[in-house]
Amino acid sequence: MDLVQLQRQLVDYRTSLYHEGFLDEQFTQLKELQDENNPDFVVEVVSLFFEDSERLLNELSKALEQQVIDFKRIDAHVHQFKGSSSSIGAQRVQKLCIVFRNFCEAQNVEGCLKCLQQVKHEYSIVKTKLESMFQLERQILNAGGSVPV
Amino acid sequence: MAEKSFETTSQVCCSTGSESLPILASPMESPLRKVLSRISGFVPSWGKKTAPPGRRIFHRDVEQDEFQNGTAHCLSSYYSVFVARLAIMVMLAILIGLLTVLTWHFTRVYTTKSLNTLAYGLRYELLQRPILRMWNILNSTSEITTAQVKLSEYVIRRYSKPTNQAEQIELYQMMKDITWALFASRKALNAITINYRNGFVQAFHRDHRSNNTFYIYSDLANYSISDTGSYDNKSQSSRQGWNDQFIHGNVSAIWYRQPLDPLTGEKIGKSSQIPPEDLINIAGPSQVPDGVASWHVAVSKYTDSPLLSAALPVWDASNKSIVAVVGVTTALYSVGQLMKELVEVHSGYIYLTSQEGYLLATSTNTPLLNNTAKGPKLMMAANSEDRVIRMGAQWLQKTYGNKFPPGHVVHVEKANLGGQHYYIDSFFLNLKRLPIVGVIIIPRKYIMGKVEERALKTLVILISASVCILAIGCVCILILTNGVSKEMKLRAELISHLDARRRAEASSNYKSQFLANMSHELRTPMAAVIGLLDILICDDCLTNEQYAMVTQIRKCSTALLRLLNNILDLSKVESGKLVLEEAEFDLGRELEGLVDMFSVQCINHNVETVLDLSDDIPKVVRGDSARVVQVFANLISNSIKFTTSGHIILRGWCENPNVSSDSGKFSPDQKKPMSALKTKLKHGNHMKKVSKKDNKMILWFEVDDTGCGIDPSKWESVFESFEQADPSTTRTHGGTGLGLCIVRTLVNKMGGEIKVVKKNGQGTLMRLFLLLSTPADGLEQQRQIDFAKHSVAVILALHGSMGRLIMSKWLSKNGVPTLEASEWNELTQILRELFHARTTNSGFDTHYSLAKPLRSKVQTLQDMKKLVYIIVVDLGLLDLSTEIWKEQLNFLDKFSGQVKFAWMLNHDTSNAIKMELRKKGHILMVNKPLYKAKMLHILEAVIKESYVEPQNRSPNGTKGTSKQGDSHECLEIDSTQFETCSSDDSDISEMTGANSVSSVGIREQLKEGTILKSGPPTLRNCLVEFTRLGLEVNNLRTEEDQCNGRPKFHDTKDVKCENPNSSEQPLVRSNVKDRDNSYTTNKAASEQKSLEGLRLLLAEDTPVLQRVATIMLEKMGAVVVAVGDGAQAVEALNCELDGDENRTNRLQTEICDSPPYDLILMDCQMPMMDGYEATKAIRKSEERTGWHVPIVALTAHAMSSDKEKCLKVGMDAYLTKPIDYKLMVSTILSLTKRSTKG
Repeated sequence: MDLVQLQRQLVDYRTSLYHEGFLDEQFTQLKELQDENNPDFVVEVVSLFFEDSERLLNELSKALEQQVIDFKRIDAHVHQFKGSSSSIGAQRVQKLCIVFRNFCEAQNVEGCLKCLQQVKHEYSIVKTKLESMFQLERQILNAGGSVPV
Repeated sequence: MAEKSFETTSQVCCSTGSESLPILASPMESPLRKVLSRISGFVPSWGKKTAPPGRRIFHRDVEQDEFQNGTAHCLSSYYSVFVARLAIMVMLAILIGLLTVLTWHFTRVYTTKSLNTLAYGLRYELLQRPILRMWNILNSTSEITTAQVKLSEYVIRRYSKPTNQAEQIELYQMMKDITWALFASRKALNAITINYRNGFVQAFHRDHRSNNTFYIYSDLANYSISDTGSYDNKSQSSRQGWNDQFIHGNVSAIWYRQPLDPLTGEKIGKSSQIPPEDLINIAGPSQVPDGVASWHVAVSKYTDSPLLSAALPVWDASNKSIVAVVGVTTALYSVGQLMKELVEVHSGYIYLTSQEGYLLATSTNTPLLNNTAKGPKLMMAANSEDRVIRMGAQWLQKTYGNKFPPGHVVHVEKANLGGQHYYIDSFFLNLKRLPIVGVIIIPRKYIMGKVEERALKTLVILISASVCILAIGCVCILILTNGVSKEMKLRAELISHLDARRRAEASSNYKSQFLANMSHELRTPMAAVIGLLDILICDDCLTNEQYAMVTQIRKCSTALLRLLNNILDLSKVESGKLVLEEAEFDLGRELEGLVDMFSVQCINHNVETVLDLSDDIPKVVRGDSARVVQVFANLISNSIKFTTSGHIILRGWCENPNVSSDSGKFSPDQKKPMSALKTKLKHGNHMKKVSKKDNKMILWFEVDDTGCGIDPSKWESVFESFEQADPSTTRTHGGTGLGLCIVRTLVNKMGGEIKVVKKNGQGTLMRLFLLLSTPADGLEQQRQIDFAKHSVAVILALHGSMGRLIMSKWLSKNGVPTLEASEWNELTQILRELFHARTTNSGFDTHYSLAKPLRSKVQTLQDMKKLVYIIVVDLGLLDLSTEIWKEQLNFLDKFSGQVKFAWMLNHDTSNAIKMELRKKGHILMVNKPLYKAKMLHILEAVIKESYVEPQNRSPNGTKGTSKQGDSHECLEIDSTQFETCSSDDSDISEMTGANSVSSVGIREQLKEGTILKSGPPTLRNCLVEFTRLGLEVNNLRTEEDQCNGRPKFHDTKDVKCENPNSSEQPLVRSNVKDRDNSYTTNKAASEQKSLEGLRLLLAEDTPVLQRVATIMLEKMGAVVVAVGDGAQAVEALNCELDGDENRTNRLQTEICDSPPYDLILMDCQMPMMDGYEATKAIRKSEERTGWHVPIVALTAHAMSSDKEKCLKVGMDAYLTKPIDYKLMVSTILSLTKRSTKG
């Protein structure tokens, strides 16, 4: 595929991510932090986020399956999840986390479960989106081009 | 029997029960209701407060209406009360009714029964007596008759066979004597008759009416003894004929009547012949047909009562033939008499009748006989003239007819005779041949009358009493239940009110809570917008138009942020989350900065901003500097909004009874509220005197403007939220109306008050006081240099008249003679006057002559020869629009030998002018406006210079001046920096165009300044020079540091004074260090690597955040050690402490007394050990080393209370997530600077 076309595609894809609200300016800041010293900074952080998120989501699912639900723990997890998602700029996940925490505070099990599903869903979306974006970037890099800013 | 009786009783019970209940229910209920309704009708009249529910019980209609009006939830309670009342009343009614009925019933039944028994006895007794009498009479009559008969038999037997007339006469004489004896012995007898067989009649008669006694006899001549035989023979056959002949047919017989003495029987008169019709009733043989005694009732014309006559035959010796017939007549009069007597005692009527119904005796005086043509006849009882007797007899006849019950015994208790009730009893007395019926009629009234009357009265009394009790009871119930229902109603209302209030409070609280919680969400995007705009502005590729637009956007967002901040502040205060800080700050400095800032705005408006603080205001106070500044910023900006020309004065003084010199400038009416408040705040004053440690001071402030003013009616309401004095101002002046509201809440929170005060002249005067505490040593800084000693004089050549006036007053008070000039010509005039000897050539008009007072002042000044003149010149006095100003400068230059110039610059004074001034050697330059602190600076600089000059001038004068220039440059920059430091809010800092720098640096600067000033200038001078040099160099570096992305604002030479070395520290070391840091790095590098050389510890559990923050910090050149939780952070710190020797070799001299990390970034929410705990642990461990590693909190909440919490556990600052790049850098810088210095 043409390199230029690839680059344009990446830019378009990225803008669409911003537009659709999957990402916010925090991600931009993240990108700004990436330089020659840390060439894979964004990928690194995002994969960190994936790992962390998967762990947290597992914990949350487990915690919500318990007979006696420890809302404090869930709240802490969600808080953490919110922090990490906001740090990479996954704002839809972050917003859901806020809702989730409200349910937690209200000790609403059903709401929590529903939110968990939503969060999982959003997370998987954002994950696929980011992964495909990185895929594109990698393609560009492999093709010998530079990633457009 | 028992069963039967039981049945009957139970029936009775049932019947009475079933009867009494309905009776109670219906007739008792309805009058009850009426009574109660009447009561309830007038209840409201005597109890005005009686609630309508009382009436509800009875008036259903009203009740309905009321209920419709009433609230729904009260309905059930009303109903329950209503039902309860009704039930209680009904029960009461039943109870009382039962009691009444039972009482009445028992009293009545038993009395009636006993009385009836008694009455029966009485009646029986009453009737028994006349009957007994009757019986007696009969008995006696029969006895007498018998006696007469026996005597007659005896006499007749002796003279059985009268042979001759003489014997016959003797017999008759004998008979007469015997008969008289008997007759005389019985007074009651009416008559005794003896009818002999031969027809001869002897009779004694007693007329009771005339009380005469007569002897009646027939003529003897007609009778012969011989007749006797014949009579004997035909006795049986001719008895009837004898009889008839004897009584009626014997017409031939002549009757004689001889009156007798009733006692002796002697003849008292002549016997007279009487006609046969006057004859008394003489019993003949016909009356004794069987030869036995017979009875019958007869009448006689001599008596008006019936007579009872008995007849007995007198038999001859052989007992075979009747010799004579003896008749005894007794009047029944005495029976009647007895009856009358009886009836007199007991009322009523008694009568006796024969079986056929003929009246024999009555208790009345009515005649018993009928006078008919044939003579008197017996009367029927039914025809009696006495009404009662007649009716009684008729009633008996009607009731029973001829079928009398056996024995004729009748007892009737209630016979209605002519409208009255009577007892009627009849008895039957069976005498032979004369059965008698006795009837007694007693009016019921007599026996039962009283009883019935009493019973009726009792009943009436009982009923009325019970009705009364019922009524009272009902009223009581009504009142009681009324109270209860009222209370219930009130309670329900109270509960609903409480509920409503709680809900309202909750909702209000929710609102505030929501806004307060929203602060983070609102501020973050705004901060992002502003940050991004800043980046955009820094971008070089913008065209001019774009640049202008972006700048506009930047301004707008700033305004929006300000508005947001206002709203959030307000909601924060309302939700009670605003916590005032308690930190020392320099009040004067803050206010000066504020005035500096606003003066920039005001100059455009042609408004003068003047700060007028009295000298007694403490330099350092404790409080929330940001909030204090916010108060004045809001007030001043409000004033500026409405002031188009004139001035805005911020006055301040200290509430102190001892200070009287300053209060001179307030008119008496202004002082009045002060004194009033003084008493109110006496406690505060008292405290001040008692404890020097924590001085609470009352600081008074006034913001005085010459704007459009506020209508007095709005003086209170302007402090309400969203309230504006004139709604139309929104269009012209903008604003939300929140500013003053925030001011008031803040002032109140600081223990003060604010109000609008009446002002002479145009404009508004807001006066407020704050209750701030001063540190114990705060007052000691109240020292003043005695300027009079230094013999300086000041010429104030300023535009603003108000500022000039105030300044000159203050100077004169401090012993500095002043001259004032408001324009260029005036200034030249003064100068000429003062130095006319030296001014040889002047290119300017001299036709301006000084005013008289000024001239005299000038002359006095001229007298004081050794004065050092300082001319404070407003740059605005020069004509900057043309090139004339250069000439003017030249003119002034001529005086530079004798005077020192201090230039007041505008904020927009171009660099060219400054350069020119500097070239000319005018190195004292101060930005407008002029206030005390600046004046002090000028004065001190000049005085110092006047000391230094003699030393420096000789070796290299130019160098000296250049150095001085540098130092004064510093002075100038100083003032711009005030603007910076005093503005905490980002918006304000944006307005003034200064960068945000923590006040720490300024405080350092301040401290240095004061030390410099306080020390003896001559001794310190040398050191000062060097310090300045170092300071200057250092400033260069920091300026570059601060230049991040804002080169635009630093067209004037912006020098930072974050001097790491105070005068106490070794000068050389710090200089070397500074050079290392700043001079070796180029500008670009320093921009990037602002955190170069800092060792930071990052405690963050979220790996993503950890990574991001690490990269961020590392990019700026910091060395970052990241740990996952609080426990690790503590551990890492302790490790480093132990392995101190292995640390980097940076700043080796400080190893022994410096902590391992320059700063710790601490996430608040972490597993294992959260940020608060970790901080506490760190602070604890630090106690033994004496270090203080700055800890910056990272939180996701932006509330002041969170901040409060962070600061409480020992953190130094806090940042909100997501991390703002710039804010983090500036925070870290400010904290690390302090720590390295400290």
